[in-house]
Formats: sequence, C-alpha cells, structure tokens
Amino acid sequence: MNQDLCYCDGRGGLDRKAPSVSRRGFLAGAIGALGLSSALGEIVVDPNRSRNDVLVVVFLRGGADGLSLVAPYAEDNYYRARPTLAVRKPGREANTLLDLNGFFGLNPALSALMPYYEDKSMAIVHATGSLDESRSHFEAMSAMERGRARATDGEGGGWLARHLAVTPGASSPFRAVAFDAMLPESLTGASSAMAIENIDSFRLQNDDDQAYRKALAALYAEGGDPFAKSGRETLRLLDVLREKGASTPETRTGVTYAENGFAQALRQVSFLIKQDIGLEIACVSSYGWDTHVAQGTNEGWLPTLLRDLGNGLDAFMKDLGPETKRVTVVVQTEFGRRVDENSGFGTDHGRGGALFALGAGVQGGKVFGEWPGLSKEILEGPGDLPVTTDYRNVLAEVLERRLGNQQTAQVFPNHRLQPIGIIA
Amino acid sequence: MADRTGVTRREALTLGSLTLGGAALLATGCQGVGQWIAGEAAVSARTVKDEPGARLLNRFGYGPRPGDLERVAKDGEEAWIKEQLQPGEEDLATRTRIETMAIYRLSPYDLRDWPENRVVDMLQDAVIIRAVNSPWTLRERMVGFWMDHLNVYARKGIAAYRLPHYERDVIRAHAMGSFHDLIRASAHHSAMLVYLDQQNSTAAQPNENYARELMELHTLGVYGGYTQTDVMEVARCFTGWVEERDMLRPKGKVKFVESLHDDGEKRVLGVTIPAGGKQKDGERVLDIVLEHPATARHIAGKLAYLFTGEEKDSLVAKLESQYKATKGDIPTMIKTIYDEGSWRTAPPLGKRPFDYVVSSLRALDVDCDGGAPLRNALRRMGQPTWEWPMPDGYPTETEAWQGSLLARWNFAYELAGGMKGAGKPVDQLKRWDGDVAEQAVQAVFHRTSQSLGADDLMSVLRGIPDLDPRRALALALASPEYQWK
Repeated sequence: MNQDLCYCDGRGGLDRKAPSVSRRGFLAGAIGALGLSSALGEIVVDPNRSRNDVLVVVFLRGGADGLSLVAPYAEDNYYRARPTLAVRKPGREANTLLDLNGFFGLNPALSALMPYYEDKSMAIVHATGSLDESRSHFEAMSAMERGRARATDGEGGGWLARHLAVTPGASSPFRAVAFDAMLPESLTGASSAMAIENIDSFRLQNDDDQAYRKALAALYAEGGDPFAKSGRETLRLLDVLREKGASTPETRTGVTYAENGFAQALRQVSFLIKQDIGLEIACVSSYGWDTHVAQGTNEGWLPTLLRDLGNGLDAFMKDLGPETKRVTVVVQTEFGRRVDENSGFGTDHGRGGALFALGAGVQGGKVFGEWPGLSKEILEGPGDLPVTTDYRNVLAEVLERRLGNQQTAQVFPNHRLQPIGIIA
Repeated sequence: MADRTGVTRREALTLGSLTLGGAALLATGCQGVGQWIAGEAAVSARTVKDEPGARLLNRFGYGPRPGDLERVAKDGEEAWIKEQLQPGEEDLATRTRIETMAIYRLSPYDLRDWPENRVVDMLQDAVIIRAVNSPWTLRERMVGFWMDHLNVYARKGIAAYRLPHYERDVIRAHAMGSFHDLIRASAHHSAMLVYLDQQNSTAAQPNENYARELMELHTLGVYGGYTQTDVMEVARCFTGWVEERDMLRPKGKVKFVESLHDDGEKRVLGVTIPAGGKQKDGERVLDIVLEHPATARHIAGKLAYLFTGEEKDSLVAKLESQYKATKGDIPTMIKTIYDEGSWRTAPPLGKRPFDYVVSSLRALDVDCDGGAPLRNALRRMGQPTWEWPMPDGYPTETEAWQGSLLARWNFAYELAGGMKGAGKPVDQLKRWDGDVAEQAVQAVFHRTSQSLGADDLMSVLRGIPDLDPRRALALALASPEYQWK
C-alpha cells in the first residue's frame, strides 16, 4: 500500500517523498517535520470549539439511476429509451419533472431538494463517475472509495483516509465517523476514524454502573501513553453522548427525521456536528439503489428511495440551521444505470451517473459537466451514458476548497486534477 | 507505585493517533490526539513491574496460562524457549476440534457449498482456538506474524475458500521453518497470487501488483533499493503464473501458462535473466530477492521489532548475518533475539486486539471454542482475522490500536461474566473468599499485586464499594496495565 503515495519520477525510479515510507518511518518523519511538542504527553490541541468545516459523504450503494434523478427531458432519446420509466416533462400537474435549466429536470420525488437548487446551495454534476468499466458494484465502489480511476488500480487505502493523513492539523479523536457497522473503504486505513453503527450502541455495556464507570475513569486518569490518552478520550465521548442524550438527539424545532436508516444516520451526523467535537468527515450510506426490476416511475422502489434521500437531506440541512455554513454534503454513487430500460421495467448497471453537492461553498443552481447526449452512437459499451467528468475532480475540489487540503494529488494519485468550479 | 517505564526514541517518535472503532493507521500516518514527543522528557506507559517469565511469555507467546509462570520459574526461561522452538502437536482435543471443521475436513472445491461468511467464521475460529489453547504459543505468535507479513484478504474474490489451505500449508507449515521456504510457498499458492491480481498479468499487460508487494512487503522492504523498472521487470517474469483452471479443485496450486508469459530477456535488481527461461524466470526472481541483502535487513528488522518493539542496530546486524548464513532459518533468528536479551528491558509494547483477547482467554484458563461473541469482539476492536484488505497486514504499532478501548472494555465485562465459546471465568473467583481485588488481579496477571507493582490498579479496585468478582475481573482486564506486554 505504500505506493499509494509513491510516484514514479518518470525515469523509472520511485520518487519516495517523506510520507511514502513505512508507517513507522513516516510517523517519525512527521513529528520532526511538524515540530510538535508538548509537555509530558498532554493533549496538544483541544478539539473543542473548533467550528471546523465538515464534509458529509453520502454514498448511494447499488448504482443510483442518474437519468431518473436528473432527467434530460429536452432530449427525445430519453423518452425513447425509457417508455415506461421516463418522468413526464415539467408541467403544472403532479409527477412531472422539476425544471432545472430548460434541459434537465429534477425527479419530483426529490422535490425537497428543489429549494436548495433554487437558492443556489445545491449543484448537480451529470455524466460523472469513475473510469472503471467493470460494471460491478464491488469493483466500481472500490475504485471510488479508494480514489482511483479503476478498481484494478493501486492498492487499498481510502481517499478519505489519505485526506486525513495529509491534513494532520486538528487532533480530535472524532475526525471521521462512519455511521455503519464497519468503516467504509473510503476510510480504510484512517487514524482518527470510527465506525459507529448507532450512537446508542456506542456505550459501555454496563452503562448504568456508576461505580464501574468511575473506576474506569480512575484507571485511565493518568499517563501520557496512547492507551491512557485514548481511554480518557473515549470516556469523554461516552460522557458527551450520555449527557446529550444521544438516543434522542435534539433536533431543531419543526424538523422531523423519517424513521428510515438513512435519515436516522443523518440525524446522528447533525448531532455530532452540533456538539462541535472536531468532526471533519461523516460517511453515510444509503442502500438499495440496484433497481434491476420494477424500479417505478412515480411510485414504487426508486421513488421511495428518492423521497427518503431528499427528505433526509432536507431535514438534515434544516436541523443544522446556522451550522450549514460549515457543512458540505456530497452525494455519490458507484455508477449510473443503462440508458434503455430493461424488459423488467428496471435498469441495468451502467456508467455515468449524477452527483449532488449541497451546502457550504457550493456554487449551486447549476448542472455541471459536459452532457454527451443519449444518441446511440454516443453511448458506451452495452448502451451506457459515458463519463465526462471524473468524480475525482469534484471530490478534490471539495477537499481543497472546503477542507483546506493542499495535497489532493496525494489523495488521488496518478490523476491530473481539473477543477470544475463547483465549490467556491 | 506502578513501574513507569521511560519510553525510548522509537516510542516517543511514533505519534499517537486515536482510532475509535479500531481502525488503524495507514502508511501515511497521521497524528491524532495522542501527540507527544519525548525529547529529553520520557513518557510513561502504565505498565507493571517485570518479573522473570512474565515478559517472556507475553512477548514470545500469547501470555501465560495457569501454571506457565511457575514452570518457567522452576525450569528457567532458557528451557522454555528451547522447548518452544521445537513445537510439537497440539493436544488431541484441540486437534480434533480443528480438524473436524468443514474448512479442513473438506477440500476447497467441496467447501464451495458453504457460504463465504461461514467459511470466514470458521477461519477466524480456527485461528483463535489454536492461539488460546495451544501449548506451542511461540508458534502461534509466529503464525500471527507471518499471516500479517503475507496477508491475504478473505473477502477479495473467493479468497476465503483458498485460505484454509494457505494458512495450513504455507503459513503454519513454515512459521517455524525457513523464511526462504515460506516465501517460495506463498509465491506458489493461488491465495496469494490471485489476491495480488496475478491472474490478470499477461505478457501483453503485466500486472505489477504481486511483483511490487513481493519486493516491498515480502522481501526487500520499501527501502530495499528496487526501482519502478525492477517492479515492471519482475512483473514480466511472473507473467503466466496463474491459478489452475477449475478454481479451487487443485488446492491452491499455481500453474504456468506459457502462452501468457513474456519470454524476453529481463533485468531484475542488476541481474540479467536471459530470454527463454519460462517458469524459471519467476523462480530466479525468488532466488534473487531472497538472497538480497536488503531482504536480510528487512526481515531482521521486522523480527527484532516483533519481540523488542525496536530495531536496535546491533541486534538487527546479528540477525542479518544469521539470515544470510542460514537462508533465513526462523528459529535460529528467534533464539538470537532471545539470547541478545534486550527484549527484557525494551519499552512496553501495546497489545493488538488479537493479542489482548487471546492473552485474556489464556490468563483465565479458558478452553476456547471460538464462536460469534469472540469474533464480534475482535471485529469491534478492528482486528477480525484475515479481514485486513491491504497486503501489508494489520498494523503493529501501539498507537494504531488505541481507539479500540471501548470494545476492549466491553469485551472484558462480557468475558468476566461469561461468554459463549469462552466459558464463565467469574466462577473461578466465586469459589474464593476474601480479597476479591487481589484475587482478580492474580487471576488476570498471574502474579500478586505486590510483585506486579500495580498499586494504582489495586487502589482503584479497593475503592469500589461492594466489589464483586465480575467487576473486579473485568476491571483488571480493562485496566491500562493489561493493554501492554
């Protein structure tokens, strides 16, 4: 995995910069370079009250149908390819597309997001994706989560993990949280990252045993070694969660999160952001986008997912209130779906798809990306929308402009970044 | 007072980084909350006093089982290590338990009827059952070490089905043998080659993955002096080394497919490999890298770190020359590390989750049966066996694991109260009377609190009103002192 940060010098040699050495070697180098110092192992940086910027990465797992999310209604090919699944052109009636720019329309099931597009805090990138042509969920997700062009490129190690590694600034133990059972591949190899399936379960088994809890605190009260410090930090998080009653995180008045996993995960993200304990990256997954059969047009499988997505994000943004000025959300998926609907009124694995960016810094009210069109001669392979915007260009821009990462080339190795201007 | 051991340069310079949920450090590293630098001021780890035997058993094995410390005290450390260097079979019960598992009973081909998750479960159970129950604890320590050194990710492709065979016939077979044989065996096993994409490597499009990791991780090391050109040339040499068709039927066998092989001349690490070598090209590469001085240095350093937590130049130099003299005879190198003796005084090393769980179970005399609670505990701590996706194996640094504490505490509490696959350790204490705190500490550390020097721990335990055996045991296991070895 070391070659993640090793690059060829063009003459056949490996140009090994400081961060490219072994873990131990790099750690030793880093401390020298940063000149960190502290008294007897006490915490250097108080992660409290950082009011730092936050990136929320929402991954729609299964391959969300970009053409249903954001439909090119002005192109007849869309209606020809999707005789049953196409959403009707924008109009006054219900179940018609919401016009974005005279060419694309937002799926009406995502209507909760329309105000964000209108007030220019949400942007869309269409025909985006990776260069992975496997059309395999696992491969395509792996490519994206590792920040690669294709699944066969490079080694393990997530793009967010590399981001954390090259931006060592803050030192909160809660820099990255994935609201899932295990860390997603994008955080594989990250320090300062945790997977919390549910804040409710991030607790001591014998949580109510005050004496036991106090004993643990006493055991870990002293010492500057990694375990002692981590023990105190863990207890602090447990305290925070306990005190704040994490099982029912307060939401802003009038905001309701639906009872689905996605919305509840966002509720927890919002809670942690509002606690201001140094959260920089939150990963949330939405599952079930692999709509091979009966995906539905106005009702059914896909519209339900879309409503959950739109309403969840809307509740999240409203719940965050003033905090939205430091929160940027990116919604991505491993690939879009086949242009032609299949005989089962569903769609098969495709290539280019749609990506949403929402919140702080987003140059919204626009659909980014070069639209290749849906005519037969343009389509790729078995009839898929080509990818015209490498997803890495979007992510790199977010890291650079929102999270102060000046080394995005290390996050996305072997990729020449071309900013698209989606983030201010 | 507890013994506060000064931390050396190595420990001081490795920054802490908190990893909740048990995730680990990537190559790039990153500093988290635990930033500190020792410089002139030493940092303390909450560890206990050393006593003859304790450190030996903790470092060279997975910690004492009841009676082990007494045996070492009676026969001497030398006798223990000599015995461990020539491991024999496990007891009949453990062997039976392992051999009747479907992963070993069935051929990989027949195992396909089992779902992947079940196969992974069984693989994980087999490893922990042996680690806890085996009297040959040094061999188990080495099996764990080589599993990381030659890591294969169980969930890539159908790797899980190849792993039972790989673990037994590659890792376990050579764990206490010759390093040369170990690497050769891995190079000839489809679990490794397929994991590192050798299957996609052809003359037209050589895949560099295996070639690079063979040099960077398995042999020369990242500073081994190879270039990108060497990587490409080694990749060319290995083109045509693929898994037998029919997937699992040939039990990990690799075959050479001439039509996929690039049979031109190659130049690897300054050595010309003439055209027309066919499968011998790959064998030649293995000779070159195994006999390369950088490999001697790399392996010497890793072994020194395993037992001492440092890479002291004088020790590494000794091991290097031994590597060269013995073609990497593993027991010889371990004995040298033992004889050199700096492991006795080297700074404390944090237990990784597997080490922590296994040493806890051994300490409490558990007859381990594997099972979901143990597997889940390791998963929550971030070290489920065979599930590290990257080829470098789980991190070894203490700070990579400091975020696993909550999961450790919960494991301690659960185990103390009784856990499926691990019995009900608390029953041991219930039979006793008197000083519960003292008994719990003795049950976990196998030493009196006085010999341990764990005054802080004792005063905390004694401060708990109505201390019951379960909480006492759990807190002793959860203590900072028990996270170190």
